Amino acid sequence: MAEISARRRLLPPYLLSAPALLLYLGLFMAPLAMTLMLSFNSFDFYKGILPGFSFVNYLEVVTDEYFHEVFLRTFGISLAVTVLCALLGTPEAYILHRMRNPWKSLFMLAILGPLLISVVVRTLGWALLIGDSGVLNDALIGAGLIDEPIRLIFTTTGVIIALVHVLIPFMVLSVWASLQKLDPAVEQAGLSLGASQFTVLRRIVVPQVMPGVLSGSLIVFALTASAFATPAILGGRRLKVVATTAYDEYLNTLNWPLGAAIAVLLLIANVIIIATYNKVIEKKYAQAFQ
Amino acid sequence: MSFLRLEGLVKRYGDFTAVDNVELSVEKGEFVSLLGPSGCGKTTTLQMIAGFEVPTQGRVIIDGKDMTDVKASQRGIGIVFQSYALFPHMPVAANVSFGLEMRKVSKEERKRRVMQTLELVHLQDFAQRFPRELSGGQRQRVALARALVIEPEVLLLDEPLSALDAKIREDMQIELRSIQQKVGTTTILVTHDQSEAMSMSDRVAVMNEGRLVQVGAPYDAYEFPEDLFVSNFLGKTNLLEGKVTARNGGEVKVRIGEAELEARDVDGSIDGRVNVSVRPEKLHLTTPQDGALQGRVLTRIFLGNHWVYQVQSPIGRLLVTQQNTGQDSAREGEEVGISWSVDGIRVLAAEADHG
Ligand SMILES: Nc1ncnc2c1ncn2[C@@H]1O[C@H](COP(=O)(O)OP(=O)(O)OP(=O)(O)O)[C@@H](O)[C@H]1O
Ligand SMILES: [Mg+2]
Repeated sequence: MAEISARRRLLPPYLLSAPALLLYLGLFMAPLAMTLMLSFNSFDFYKGILPGFSFVNYLEVVTDEYFHEVFLRTFGISLAVTVLCALLGTPEAYILHRMRNPWKSLFMLAILGPLLISVVVRTLGWALLIGDSGVLNDALIGAGLIDEPIRLIFTTTGVIIALVHVLIPFMVLSVWASLQKLDPAVEQAGLSLGASQFTVLRRIVVPQVMPGVLSGSLIVFALTASAFATPAILGGRRLKVVATTAYDEYLNTLNWPLGAAIAVLLLIANVIIIATYNKVIEKKYAQAFQ
Repeated sequence: MSFLRLEGLVKRYGDFTAVDNVELSVEKGEFVSLLGPSGCGKTTTLQMIAGFEVPTQGRVIIDGKDMTDVKASQRGIGIVFQSYALFPHMPVAANVSFGLEMRKVSKEERKRRVMQTLELVHLQDFAQRFPRELSGGQRQRVALARALVIEPEVLLLDEPLSALDAKIREDMQIELRSIQQKVGTTTILVTHDQSEAMSMSDRVAVMNEGRLVQVGAPYDAYEFPEDLFVSNFLGKTNLLEGKVTARNGGEVKVRIGEAELEARDVDGSIDGRVNVSVRPEKLHLTTPQDGALQGRVLTRIFLGNHWVYQVQSPIGRLLVTQQNTGQDSAREGEEVGISWSVDGIRVLAAEADHG
């Protein structure tokens, strides 16, 4: 009797979460598994995809200098974007936190509003801004500040600038959430003990919002490493990152197995980096925060 | 000249006046409590002394120097916040050491003074703990140590004990007072707890609706309230409306309902409609024949060392407290007499006049 009732009690939660679980399995796990399987197939230029099980694609990625460059570039860009988002987003969140209404709501909207617009549209906007004869260069040349246009489009710098703009709301939101938990009297306590406003920020506010900065960094890093639209549009034909390279293999070369192998490697690298980062951070902050 | 002076402090938020023309002088080493109901402007006053709020009008003067426009970080005032506001990411020792670091005190000196102050608050064994690993009372003491270690000229305490439960609160009141006397820091305590204010301070400053209504030693404020608000706010009292019917030198006769009481009126300022305040402990229960008034016990409550009675009398319902002397006390429904001494009766002007 007891067994039956225990089983009865266990059943409803599973039934209730079944639709979501099925959706997750069908739409996420299945394609992932198929990509994984695909990556072990091989490819022939004339015969197309050949079923089988081999590591040739992985071997190719691991040994080819070109792919090394692409992976290094991707993680270099991710790192730069993450650091810039942290450096810009943290003060931005703090300023927002200190603002009063109606300015607070207004600026909050300005920061979060772009999330409502497609990344492609925003990136095209950046292309118009930073192009060789874009608004920025025209203005600078018109003002007589430079003779030659500054080359931003199709450069790493251009891609980084646009990605920072696309991803900074995630950092601001994450830091904002930890700022909400901050007791305003703690800042006053710091001031009353003789610390300057800047010292209070550095010694008291920043350490306390660090968990927010770090979780924001995780989100930004993961999203940059797998970003597609922005590098595709602003990076042009030559400045490839992992996501655009995988896309090329799929659609231009039609080498699906190699594309799949690249995608799987990106996923693995991302997971390893994020998991290690998390471990290190947890260790460092386990003492003060729980 | 007094050490800390508030001169005509006013704070307005739009049309609303949170603090209204507060004048207060505090001597060096004195312990003054700002006492008043919630929302009367105590915290706002404290924040203006600390430099976190800019007064709309008036000046804050410490040791002869005008501090009104000095930054909070330059005032050298120690503050204990209601929420303690400890730095959660630093251990106790680092919390206490912070103020000394800001003052560029050398490392050895810092270590010595931190330990010394932690000993003062009996927390020397907790130096390496984080705030979240401490109890409420211990956090409170860390906050106190952090404020005291910089040897401030003025110590401000904003309801420092209100988050503690009754027993620890009493212990901390005694401890706080003895520490304050030991270090001799000029201290202002904000509280809405009248017994806390009276038990700890040299003087209490009673606030109501942004104004200081009475400043004086706890005994004086309790025994000689200047107006209705103070007599009602400081301790329990029986407030009765009456009318002065006769005067005889320093004494007046006041008619309340069908009865007439005698009361003292030293400066002869009392006349017409008045309020009479009689503290419950100034009334005594007697046999019906011996009392000046007769009444019937409605309810009684036992509070350990004393009883509280509600007695129906010709002048209204009266609260009466009696020491628990171990003898049988009057029961509900019993007829009793009520007596008092003329010194226990305070007559106040009917309408509190704030000037
Ligand atoms: N920033 C502000 N804007 C508008 N009104 C305010 C502001 N700060 C405080 N007040 C008002 O000023 C009055 C006094 O506030 P204050 O915090 O000084 O009260 P308090 O005496 O400390 O009360 P409590 O015992 O509840 O802490 C309150 O009525 C409050 O609503
Ligand atoms: Mg307050």
